[in-house]
Amino acid sequence: MILYHGEPNGPSLAVLAALGESGLAAECHPIDLLGGERHRLPGLSEPLARDMAVEGEGPVLVIDGEAMTESVFLAQYLDEAGAAAGTGTRLQPTDAYARWQVEMWCRRITERCAPAAACLANRAWSAARLADVGDFEAMVAPIASADLAQRWRNTRAGGEPEEVLADSRAKVAQAVKMVEDALADGREWLMGPVSIADFETYGWLAGLVDLEPGAFADKPLTAAWLARVQARPSVQAALARATAPQPEHSWAPGPEINRWG
Amino acid sequence: MDTVTLYHWEPNANSGKPMLALMEKGVAFESHYLDLLNFDQHNPAYLAINPQGTIPAMTHGDRVLVESTAIMEYVDAAFAGPALMPEDARERWRIRWWMKFMDQWLAPSFSMFGWKFFVGPNARATRSEAELAAAIERIPLPERRVAWRKAVYGLFSEAEMAESERRIRVGIAMLEAELGKREWLASDAYSLADVNGFNLAYAMPLSQPHLANDTLTPNIMRWLRAIYRRPATQACWALGRTPMAKRVDILERDFIPVGNEA
Repeated sequence: MILYHGEPNGPSLAVLAALGESGLAAECHPIDLLGGERHRLPGLSEPLARDMAVEGEGPVLVIDGEAMTESVFLAQYLDEAGAAAGTGTRLQPTDAYARWQVEMWCRRITERCAPAAACLANRAWSAARLADVGDFEAMVAPIASADLAQRWRNTRAGGEPEEVLADSRAKVAQAVKMVEDALADGREWLMGPVSIADFETYGWLAGLVDLEPGAFADKPLTAAWLARVQARPSVQAALARATAPQPEHSWAPGPEINRWG
Repeated sequence: MDTVTLYHWEPNANSGKPMLALMEKGVAFESHYLDLLNFDQHNPAYLAINPQGTIPAMTHGDRVLVESTAIMEYVDAAFAGPALMPEDARERWRIRWWMKFMDQWLAPSFSMFGWKFFVGPNARATRSEAELAAAIERIPLPERRVAWRKAVYGLFSEAEMAESERRIRVGIAMLEAELGKREWLASDAYSLADVNGFNLAYAMPLSQPHLANDTLTPNIMRWLRAIYRRPATQACWALGRTPMAKRVDILERDFIPVGNEA
């Protein structure tokens, strides 16, 4: 089992944390997501999930040559494989309704918050680096998905319309409010017991604290929760893998903003 | 035993997913039909159950569940009956991966055609301008308001439609290749990915005969016919009330040649 991951931020952080919680062993290989390295991985006999992931430039787990993607599902895989091996801490409830609640929470994050977060953060921290790439088209040439390749070009070009930026800011603020509301009854973790929802949400939001301070203002429960997630040994181990001074500023093109509006 | 009630439209797309999953599991449920084209899903009685006004929704005792794929996972986990998710963690990952790909990337492209050429014209033909405007104003979710506005007033751009057409071509090629690897879409046994995929793909030989047929996509055709023959599928599609559900009859044919683009 090989995990190719970016800097400990976003979906890469969520999966590194889930790996730590699972107690399973994997070879962890850091890759430069914004350098396009995800599209040049060696030894993939089944690259489909790498090529067509809705998540965009997330981590890739490789087992028997099969690329596996989508951070929530990788976290579920690691949790279920950990359960089968009898190792680690469980991150999914056993009750079917509680599982549905975790899945619905994660979908609100991946479908509404993540595209917005990726839009804002790539504009702030990725566009300038991509502008410096000499032969940019050669870099995106190995990207199999035409719409993902287009998101790379759009990220480089910048110039997102103001209405898209405003909508993205609103969606990030809504996600933070959702966190604050969930914690209002004094619970320690978002869904009660610690779960995949904590790591997925932390991964997408932690990098936005600097960028969208307004969304996090007057959210004391969220601030305390961010600190609790960060203090977990699995997250500390993930953050220790950083090669950049500020991994929370490390982003690459993510999921697309819903085409239906 | 707590009662299960499913609020659904035709056996098709999102409504059909939990309908077929419940049928496969052998779970008895009260069927509550909502006519999507009549905006039944935005009536106060339904909004009291699902304030988002989306179809389908399911109640199980006092639990309320929404989102078709997530409901299916609940149905599989909460009830006895044949397992629609295997034990193997990697197969479970692959099933989830395909369901997300279909739900988020491929199905919206199909539905853009359905809404432009069927839902929108139907709404315009059966209601006055003022009635339509009022019906759209009552939709609770802003993104659903945008979708209905686009469908009703024909606002899908050429670029959007071209991108949807491209995705349909890519998606069909992906399904054909994947179904060449194994009997079912994502695992060795029939699973939720097949239930999901059938609801997306059953009418393709009718609506995309130039892309999905026995010459170009024999694996897809084998797969669709195998699902069509299952007793649960027969029982599920029998709940259809409109010609939309009748489209499934095309799978009775033994051979579907390459057809013309509609």
